[in-house]
Parts: sequence; structure tokens; C-alpha cells
Amino acid sequence: MHDAPALLDVEGLRVRFNPKIEAIRGVSLRVERGQTHCVVGESGCGKSVSALAVMGLLARGAKRHAAHMRFDGQDILGLSERDLQKLRGDRMAMIFQEPMTSLNPAYTVGSQMAEVLVRHRRVSKQQGLDRAAELLAKVGITAPGMRLAQYPHQLSGGLRQRVMIAMALMCDPELLIADEPTTALDVTVQAQILRLLRDLQQELGLAILLITHDLGVVARIAHKVSVMYAGEVVESASATDLFANPRHPYTRGLLACVPVPGTIKRGEPLGSIPGTVPRIADGFVGCGFRDRCVHAMPACAISVPSRDDGAGHRYLCHLQ
Amino acid sequence: MSIAIEVRNATRAFRQSTGVFSTDRTIRAVDGVSFAVETGSCLGIVGESGCGKSTLARLILGLLPVSSGEILVEGQRLADMNRRERARLIQPVFQDPFSSLNPRRRIRDIVAMPLQAQGIAARDQASRVEEMLIRVGLPGSIADRLPAQLSGGQRQRVAIARALVLRPRIVVCDEPTSALDVSVQAQILNLLDELRRDLGLTYIFISHNLAVVEHISDRVAVMYLGRMVEQASTDDLFAAPSHPYTKALLASVLTPEPGLGIPDVGLGDLYPDPANVPPGCRFHPRCPVAEARCAIEVPLPRDLNSHQIECLLAG
Repeated sequence: MHDAPALLDVEGLRVRFNPKIEAIRGVSLRVERGQTHCVVGESGCGKSVSALAVMGLLARGAKRHAAHMRFDGQDILGLSERDLQKLRGDRMAMIFQEPMTSLNPAYTVGSQMAEVLVRHRRVSKQQGLDRAAELLAKVGITAPGMRLAQYPHQLSGGLRQRVMIAMALMCDPELLIADEPTTALDVTVQAQILRLLRDLQQELGLAILLITHDLGVVARIAHKVSVMYAGEVVESASATDLFANPRHPYTRGLLACVPVPGTIKRGEPLGSIPGTVPRIADGFVGCGFRDRCVHAMPACAISVPSRDDGAGHRYLCHLQ
Repeated sequence: MSIAIEVRNATRAFRQSTGVFSTDRTIRAVDGVSFAVETGSCLGIVGESGCGKSTLARLILGLLPVSSGEILVEGQRLADMNRRERARLIQPVFQDPFSSLNPRRRIRDIVAMPLQAQGIAARDQASRVEEMLIRVGLPGSIADRLPAQLSGGQRQRVAIARALVLRPRIVVCDEPTSALDVSVQAQILNLLDELRRDLGLTYIFISHNLAVVEHISDRVAVMYLGRMVEQASTDDLFAAPSHPYTKALLASVLTPEPGLGIPDVGLGDLYPDPANVPPGCRFHPRCPVAEARCAIEVPLPRDLNSHQIECLLAG
């Protein structure tokens, strides 16, 4: 399965903000062309930090290491800020959870969208606006001409997120990194935005790295899934395999916590994972989940084996 | 069965200024809502953002007066009660445990605040606070900490302890688990459910998450632009949603089942604007089955197979 090179190939990513604590402890991700790879986990697991590290957008003072990090076969770990800027917004684009804070409130939708193209492709402002109108129509916004002249506060949450997506597509990116793109939206609008992302993927061959805490979103849109816990990918597999046959106790616990309409028996407690996510300081050995794990055994405090079923389903656990 | 809370035709209007030279707009965030909740049961209220569900919570808590209509708590008019009386009967649990707890107060003092406000002696306060913290599953050692030293789930337990320390009859939970991770959400839901059974509480549980509402509620009301468009028992509502809006809401829930794809809910791109309520049925511009008369005729509440709905076509 490693025949064709992946569009994004990250191996052994480590990030540290604090001299004593490593936030990301060896994350590997491969995003194939035209596919959606979901990274799922709870707050603080390092899923957003991993995405920011790939984009080279970590805060000043953060330390990033990796065995390798390649975009379309090209090393992006050693790129200068200038070269990275050329890549970001052009061949790889990113959208965030809260569109209101990522759009500039002082500029019209049209002028901030056009700027992307003016910067990366050195076209005129008018050409930028034409392309913006075309993309607004593509993401399902009616009367795009009127929307271009509006300011972000004049749009509803769903419309703003569509504008963000359209803006990310200005330069025909090959990779779209979406960090919780539907979390701030109503369920009805969430379904529309996810359909839009899926349709755009099919039409443009876009690769999507989607970060979410919502297993429902993952199940419906992902080709591949990586489950993160305390700075590590504890399990990764194809979406069908992961939901049919979850191997890591954390993944199983997470799935049991999600109430599914139609299967709920009132009066019976929901599954839950006791305890909270630990802070993992340097020198920590063994499994980061062991304090919350119902299957924990003495060996879990000493080491944690990486298992692979040979068909791309990997997980970190002593359990076979 | 006795009725813990009854809301009769409650309306709350806000004036919104739209600029110096234009006339103010009136927004009816809650527009003629009626329902009753049986003692010891849980009514779930669902709807999209802007549908008026949080305004309704504030009316029931007495934090906002109704513009018209009335709210009865155990047969007494809420409007006739003073703050202390209301606080003994009804308490809130809000969404964000990070902003609903005073960051400079110790947990002990936060939970004791309602007791203090009722003028209960200090030595009685301490024992009741301690008892309540244990009841919500917090270690006693937490009492001297500050909110910032607790996790989100622990903070929400503190908020629940504060709500229950006066032994109220009714708890209004406004999105109590929306800011929490799923594993913690499940813990808090299980706790709320257990407390309701053990203490005989009545809940009004507001959420945008239908699965959460299904898990905890006996009855569910669906709000759309200030109206309750469908009410039914939880089993009936989820088994056979009748209003087209309820159907769309249910269809848009993404369950963790791969292979089902992303549903097309058929609501179009028109978002509801509470300041600009459409004539006729409020839902008609987004309704996938709307007919010409839906734009003219206002649907009145009617009973349909044990559901109460506001729709001209369903049935």
C-alpha cells in the first residue's frame, strides 16, 4: 500500500512548547490524493497542533521535529518561511472551526478572497474578484455578486463557513486541512457543509485532512482515520475497518460514549471513560491510556507495542 | 400526575436598534409557546441556534420577564414570586462551566453562594456543601481549589452541585454538555439522570444535540423561530417524527455508522432570521414539502397521533 507516494507524508512528528512536556509524541500521517483522512480525538490530544505543525504555523518558541515531512514528495520540514508561505494558501489550504474569527471583519468578502489570488498568482484585483464569484457559486452561495460586497458580520454562520471554503479553494489547492469545520454549526448546516466538501473532493480530486472530535462526522466522510490520545496516534485504519473492528480500548470507549438516536435505552447509563486525559511529562514510559483503561495490566507501565494487522490497521496496545 | 411547570402562551419580544435613522425592529424570540412538564420528568427542547430556546430558559428561570403570557411553577405564578422564592424552586445549569463559575472564588464558596443568599447559617452551609460535592462525585479535597484548577467535567459537576444545594424542584439545563468532550459528556449525562431519579427533580433540558436529548428526556419539544412546532413523548417523536422540520433535524444527525454517507436534508440555503419571520407557516421557505397555502395560512397547534404539531400538511 506504500506504492504511490502519498500527497502528505508525515513520519514521527514531535512538537514541544514547554521544555518538560512534549505535546506531540511521534505522530505519523499519510494523506492520499483525493481522499479524506480524519484525525479524531478529545480536546488536548494534539490533533490541532499536529495540523498546525504540518502547515508550519506553530507559535514562536515551539520546537518541531520529524523523521520526515513531505508534501508531494518534496521535503517541507526544512523549507524557509518564505517558501512555506508560497505553499500555504496555494497548494495547501486550511479552514478553521470558527469562521468569524478567521475572516477579517474590516474587509469585504470579495477583497479578502481576491487577495489570495493576487498574492499567489499576481493577477489583477478584478481577476481575483471574478474567480471569487465563481467559487462562491460553486460552494452553493446564491447571488455571489452581492455577497462579495458584504462584510463577514452580515453573513450567517453557515454562509461564513462556505466563504472560508471558497477562499481556501482560490488557488486550486491539492490539500485542504480542515480543523473542526462544522463544530460551530447547526446539525442541519453541518450536513450541508460536509456534502459540499465531499462533492468538491470528487470534482477537484482534493485531498482533505479533517480534524474533528465527532465520530459521526468521521464515519460519514473519512476514508482513513487516525485516533489520537495524549499526543500519539493510538489507532489508525480505514474508516470501515475502524468502526467495524476497533482495536484500541480508547477507540472502543469513545465509540461507547456516543449516544446514537434510535438505539438509546433510557434509564441505562451511557458508556463513559472514567478519569481525565493525563499530562505526559518527559521520561514517561508505557501506555498513556493505562490509568483510564479497563484492560490495563502491569506490562502497560513498561512498554507499549505497535501492532499491525498487515492490512493497514495499526494500533498501540498489548491486547491482541 | 402533578404538573411541575406550566408555560401558557409565553411571548418575549426584544427591540433591536438597526441604526440612528431607521425604526427599531421587534424580534419575538419566543412567540406564543405553551407546554407543561410533569413532576419528576424531563422535557427536552431542541432547535437550531436562534430558535429561542435559550430565551425560553431565561423566562423559566425568571431572569427575563415575559412580554405576555404566564408561567406557573407548582401552580404559582412565577411573576408573583421574588428572587429568593424562585431560587428555592428553580435552578440553572449552563453550557460553559468555564464562564459560569467565578474564577476568584474557591469551590466551597461557589457552591455555598445560594445558601448564603437564602440566609442559611454558616455552619449548616459547610455540611450541605460537603454533602453536595460528594453527591455529584467530586472528592472533598476539591472544596478549597479554584475553578481554574479543575477540568471541564469537574467544573460542570461544581455547577450542578451549586444548582442542587438548595434542593430545588426544577432544574433548567441549557446545553449542559455542549462544551465537554464526548467521554466527559457521557459522565455528566449519567450523573444528571441519576440525580433526577434519586432526588425526584424535574428537568427542562435544552440542547441542539438530538441524541443527547433522546437519551435523557421523557418528552421532547422542537422549536423553530420562536414556536414549538412539534411536541411528543420521546419514543413517539424519534420513532415517527411528524413535522417536516423535525424530520429534517433527525435526518441530519450523523451517527457513527460508516457507509451511510452524508444525508441530504433538503432544507436549502435559506437560513431563518428571527427579525424577519416569514408569513404563513414560519418554516415554509425551507420546507421540502411546502405547498402554496403554507405561505399564507398560519398553522395552528393540533393533535396528530399523540403528537402536538403546527403544520398544515402533516397527517
